[in-house]
Amino acid sequence: MKPNRRVRVTSPQTRIALARRHRPGQHLLPMPAPADITGARAAFRRQRRIALATMAGLACLVFGTSGLVAALPALDRLQVAGVPASWLVVGVALYPLLLALAIVHVWRAERAEQGDGAPPANDRLRHG
Amino acid sequence: MTSFLAIGLVLAASLVIGIYGVRAARTTSDFLIASRKVAPGWNSMAIAGEYLSAASVLGLAGLVLKNGLGTLWYAVGFTAGYVAVVALVAGPMRRSGAFTVPDFAEYRLGSPRLRKLSGCIVLVIMLLYLVPQFKGAGLVLHLVSGAPYWVGVLLAGMVVSVSIAAGGMRSATYVQAFHYVVKLAFLAVPAVYLIVHAGADARAQALEPDRGAVFREDTVVEFNVGTRLEIPEPTTVAATGGESVPLGAGVHDVAAGEKLTFPAGASVPRPAGVPELGGEEWSRPLLDTGEAGSPLFGTWSTLLAITLGAMGLPHVLMRFHTSPTARTARRVAVGVIALLGVFYLFPAVYGLLGRVFTPRLALGEASDTVTVVLPAEVVPGAPGTVLTALVAAGAFGAFLSTSSGLLLALAGGLSHDLFSGSVPRLRFAVAAGTMVAVLIALPAFRLDINVLVGWAFAVAASTFCPLLVLGIWWRRLTLAGAATGLTIGAVTSTGAVALSAVADLEPGWVTILLAQPAAWTVPLAFATMIVISLLGNEPDWAEHALLRLHAP
Repeated sequence: MKPNRRVRVTSPQTRIALARRHRPGQHLLPMPAPADITGARAAFRRQRRIALATMAGLACLVFGTSGLVAALPALDRLQVAGVPASWLVVGVALYPLLLALAIVHVWRAERAEQGDGAPPANDRLRHG
Repeated sequence: MTSFLAIGLVLAASLVIGIYGVRAARTTSDFLIASRKVAPGWNSMAIAGEYLSAASVLGLAGLVLKNGLGTLWYAVGFTAGYVAVVALVAGPMRRSGAFTVPDFAEYRLGSPRLRKLSGCIVLVIMLLYLVPQFKGAGLVLHLVSGAPYWVGVLLAGMVVSVSIAAGGMRSATYVQAFHYVVKLAFLAVPAVYLIVHAGADARAQALEPDRGAVFREDTVVEFNVGTRLEIPEPTTVAATGGESVPLGAGVHDVAAGEKLTFPAGASVPRPAGVPELGGEEWSRPLLDTGEAGSPLFGTWSTLLAITLGAMGLPHVLMRFHTSPTARTARRVAVGVIALLGVFYLFPAVYGLLGRVFTPRLALGEASDTVTVVLPAEVVPGAPGTVLTALVAAGAFGAFLSTSSGLLLALAGGLSHDLFSGSVPRLRFAVAAGTMVAVLIALPAFRLDINVLVGWAFAVAASTFCPLLVLGIWWRRLTLAGAATGLTIGAVTSTGAVALSAVADLEPGWVTILLAQPAAWTVPLAFATMIVISLLGNEPDWAEHALLRLHAP
């Protein structure tokens, strides 16, 4: 396939929905089982563990810092380079931390995917 | 005039990029998701460009000016939402192969009816989001040119719908990436310039917490709506007719349409229901919504609504399908977090300087305009005019890119999910969606931009967020559970905010629970979905559908 050729991509359920236009009420065909169901379950659980950890980290970060600002009024008085520290926490410092959290998540999720040994299924589709 | 020129240039450039991007939108897939040929860098910029709406560019600075530093949590929430997107939905949504959220609902639960229900919720969220964008466009044009509000709204509606109807998502991608650059540059450069030129005295004043605001010069304050003012010290003001009126310290009612001239050096009065400018409540970075006396709860509820709401915004989710793989989709979302973080450093600058230079805007219900009005007040003369033009063009860019993305999602909802999808119908849906939004935006001049946008986030957080999170990560979600949860979430969140918008309630817990409903509607929607699902049994293939979302 030439790299620049534009291909039509339609999701299976969209094709089904379009084909079904005049026959409402029919349900999606039963989804086939993946080839390696044990492996797929393990991959799912790994991803879920990583996602839960990231969400816990996110909750700690945003609820924690707002809690800190509420608990320590001294932060309003403390000045860093002429700016109240609590303003800097909310307006500046949180953004790099959020970015770092997301980068760590992607790194962990991709490593977990590579651990399966097979090349990513979506890449196969794209080049197929 | 300069502002018109700058806005005209942004418009012209958008049209050129849009037309360049047309090439050929032949199929529904081309139209809605650019046939998955969009490079990750462009895609991140386009998502950020689309996401930074009038609420971020105009609304946020206005909120900081009016309600204080606590409103910076909105920006944190807008960004934190993307961390949740990276962690929970970006990859699996892309693997599902669904175009839209309703598409995903049908994939996961296999019911065309659920698709229609989700399609209706998409329409509600998109309209709630679209109306303030058009309002922002009309407001900016009105400010910089004096042209009537409706001219701006109509003009904006025409440009957006023509560009989208012609080019679809492919052109939208490049137009929106361009708009991110426009927004960042046109907000950041004037901000830095203003900081430098404001003078050491004004900078120190802006940064000092707990220092009330005073008028720097004789200031005319125009009251668009009747306002109850708390005057901190006796002041003699000039009324509309020019006669002097002594105002004692205490509470005064000002009628709508009245113009009062405050003398230089007078303390800025405090409108009822808003923290004192520069007072302790104003400068503490916490959100005390509805004056319930529990700032931490207000902050957390807002954070919850915005973080989870970002995950459920249909026009944002649709964008991930333009990535070639699930892995790229995740990385694109990380890029968005970086771009948002850079942008959100700047709105606060306008809010903080606004307290020193234009405190009058916090009085007359015009705080949304601070970003555009401030440059000319700080730097008089030609440089100020140029800066105003830049900011106005940036704000217009914000409106354009967000509304084009919203319109695409709206068109997708109308034609793809509710009816059948074909390109002519999608084009028609774009035109119809614009028309409805413009018609609602025309009488919406008085509506606060952030009220409507916050509403859209709350509805998204109470409907699509639980649907996606449970659909992607929980095998046992059933059709009945999803449908009941979606309905309950939509009804409670829409109802709560509608009630708080219409009814005039006393400050207190009821007000805060209605104005920030996410704290209870989101858990309610989650609980409904889980309980109803546990009562029934999921079909055999549910686990297969779930596992496919996580297959590497």
